[in-house]
Amino acid sequence: MTAAAFAPMPIPPRAGVGLKPEHYAAILDTAPDIGWFEIHAENYMGAGGPPHRYLTAIRDRYPLSLHGVGLSIGAARPLDKDHLRRLRALNERYQPGLFSEHLAWSSHDTVFMSDLLPVPYNEETLARVADHVDEVQETMGRRMLLENPSTYVAFEASTMSEIEFLKGVVRRTGCGLLLDVNNIHVSATNQRYDAVDYLDAFPIEHVGEIHLAGYAPETDDNGDPLLIDAHDRPIDPLVLRLYERAIARAGAVPTLVEWDNDVPDWPTLFAEAERVEHVLRPARRRSEERSLAVAV
Amino acid sequence: MSQTMKTLTMSALIGAVGAAMATFAVPASAAEEAAMEKCYGVSLKGQNDCAAGAHSCAGTSTVDYQGDSFKLVPAGTCTSMETPLGPGSLTPIERGA
Amino acid sequence: MPSLSEVQAAFSAAIFDPAAAPPRGVVGPDRRPAPRRFGVYRNNVVSALGNAIAGSFPAVRRIVGEDFFRAMARAYVLAEPPISPVLLDYGTTFPDFIAGFAPAASLPYLHDVARIERLWRESYHAEEAPALAPDALASVPEDELPRIAFSLHPSLRLARSRYAALTVWRMNATDEPVTPVDISAAEDALIVRPGAEVEVRKVPPGGAAFVTALAAGETLLAAAETAQAADARFDLAGNIAGLLAAGALRDIRRA
Repeated sequence: MTAAAFAPMPIPPRAGVGLKPEHYAAILDTAPDIGWFEIHAENYMGAGGPPHRYLTAIRDRYPLSLHGVGLSIGAARPLDKDHLRRLRALNERYQPGLFSEHLAWSSHDTVFMSDLLPVPYNEETLARVADHVDEVQETMGRRMLLENPSTYVAFEASTMSEIEFLKGVVRRTGCGLLLDVNNIHVSATNQRYDAVDYLDAFPIEHVGEIHLAGYAPETDDNGDPLLIDAHDRPIDPLVLRLYERAIARAGAVPTLVEWDNDVPDWPTLFAEAERVEHVLRPARRRSEERSLAVAV
Repeated sequence: MSQTMKTLTMSALIGAVGAAMATFAVPASAAEEAAMEKCYGVSLKGQNDCAAGAHSCAGTSTVDYQGDSFKLVPAGTCTSMETPLGPGSLTPIERGA
Repeated sequence: MPSLSEVQAAFSAAIFDPAAAPPRGVVGPDRRPAPRRFGVYRNNVVSALGNAIAGSFPAVRRIVGEDFFRAMARAYVLAEPPISPVLLDYGTTFPDFIAGFAPAASLPYLHDVARIERLWRESYHAEEAPALAPDALASVPEDELPRIAFSLHPSLRLARSRYAALTVWRMNATDEPVTPVDISAAEDALIVRPGAEVEVRKVPPGGAAFVTALAAGETLLAAAETAQAADARFDLAGNIAGLLAAGALRDIRRA
């Protein structure tokens, strides 16, 4: 089956949601007014079949963002060339408006662990991650966004902050950043630093996309709060407030609601996207007024 | 192998193909094919979603992770299918079949 | 200071060894060892991979029950973690693992049911291709018929079993109540996705040998002889019609 080439569709500064098979039918039947969808690339790496049939129909109607969860950019080992080729093939086939991956690792030797594992922040890791981001961008022929992680542990081997590390990657590779505001709250709580300070120091001018999600509260070895990046419930009000602060700094940025576990029905997910739109709409208006003022 | 067998004559083969063709006397209509095109198939959940947030994938973040829990006995529908070997049972396995 | 490679080697080793302490240098914000924090990663990995297996083998899961399945899946994940980040490919060896998994030996058909589920998944994700039109053979001159061969549909899979694995699978592929099964009746299943839907059929006598021979590139005549030798009840006309109706063939190749 030779797929018709899709016309490029940039991701608008609106709310989007992670595309779940549970919602394929509702989306195609009701054509909801939503800005865009994002897929986990690895779920569409089969050769054919229903996943591609649905995705093709949805990509016909909506802008699409491609989000990898298995490239293991933070691994010491070289990138998996086969996997990189699969990503490039998806990128060419569906012409997504954005492509992103994580500051994390998930493969060691020949084993894939299916989790976003943390890296120590130091010069050695920075050099490795920058090399990998370069390789991704060269292979894909496009700029990528790198996402700040949720972390549960720290490394004695770390010599710099996460922000310094991300700034270093951007400086060396020219990549953009995917700002996950839920991850800020989760990591700040878990690592005992201030989420607002982190956000205010974040190189916001490089942010091309924002993620929001729900987290699960747990406790650590001392009985103190430990938050888990669970993607299984609504966005926490604290995270939404942090998001407002991010948008106040950045202006309207495409923002994704991630809900990957205990996936709710479509109206519930759509309502969650509406919570985000409440923040984005005025920001879009402000930037329209600004550009109007410049034009006058 | 087929050289020595010669169980099938050419005419038997031609006859069989003819008989097979006869079952398709009415070709599939264009309308049927068009209807097929609209069908996307069963939508199965993706397998790569846990990495993006695994807490409920985990059930709990604490370690639910016994190294050895094989005192378990199969206890699903196998017990009601009542196979000739008896319902699934465990404990020291001597493979009987 | 340990290298990144050393950090990750220690980290992944501890992930897959439940008895291991967290790797050195992995700490909480108080710079002290934090086994409970590390346990989040350990549990995420084992659970995420176990969930991938659970999602791919729903009938096996229903047959053995949730507790047994989870224990078996966990054993598999620790013994054979995935090598590819594409988890829709994970579990290819799970049927073989079940065959050698002692606690499941009381259900000798179980690994064949798992094989049907695995091949069903492969068919689901297989390359798209039009199936051979049922009337395509009509355009082949009679004297050429014995020498033609077929390329098979890329979604075609064959699951052979000494047991009634197909009946057991079918009964457990939905939530419908099960009924007693005589598992001793051997069944072969033909799995194919000519369009959007995966379809599963019971293969008639000799049919599995016929399909296997065609898949190996044998001519129609040779494959028919192979099938008849495998099972005297083999019905050539019925099998040709069945494969065409199933959309199991892709193209006619002339030798």
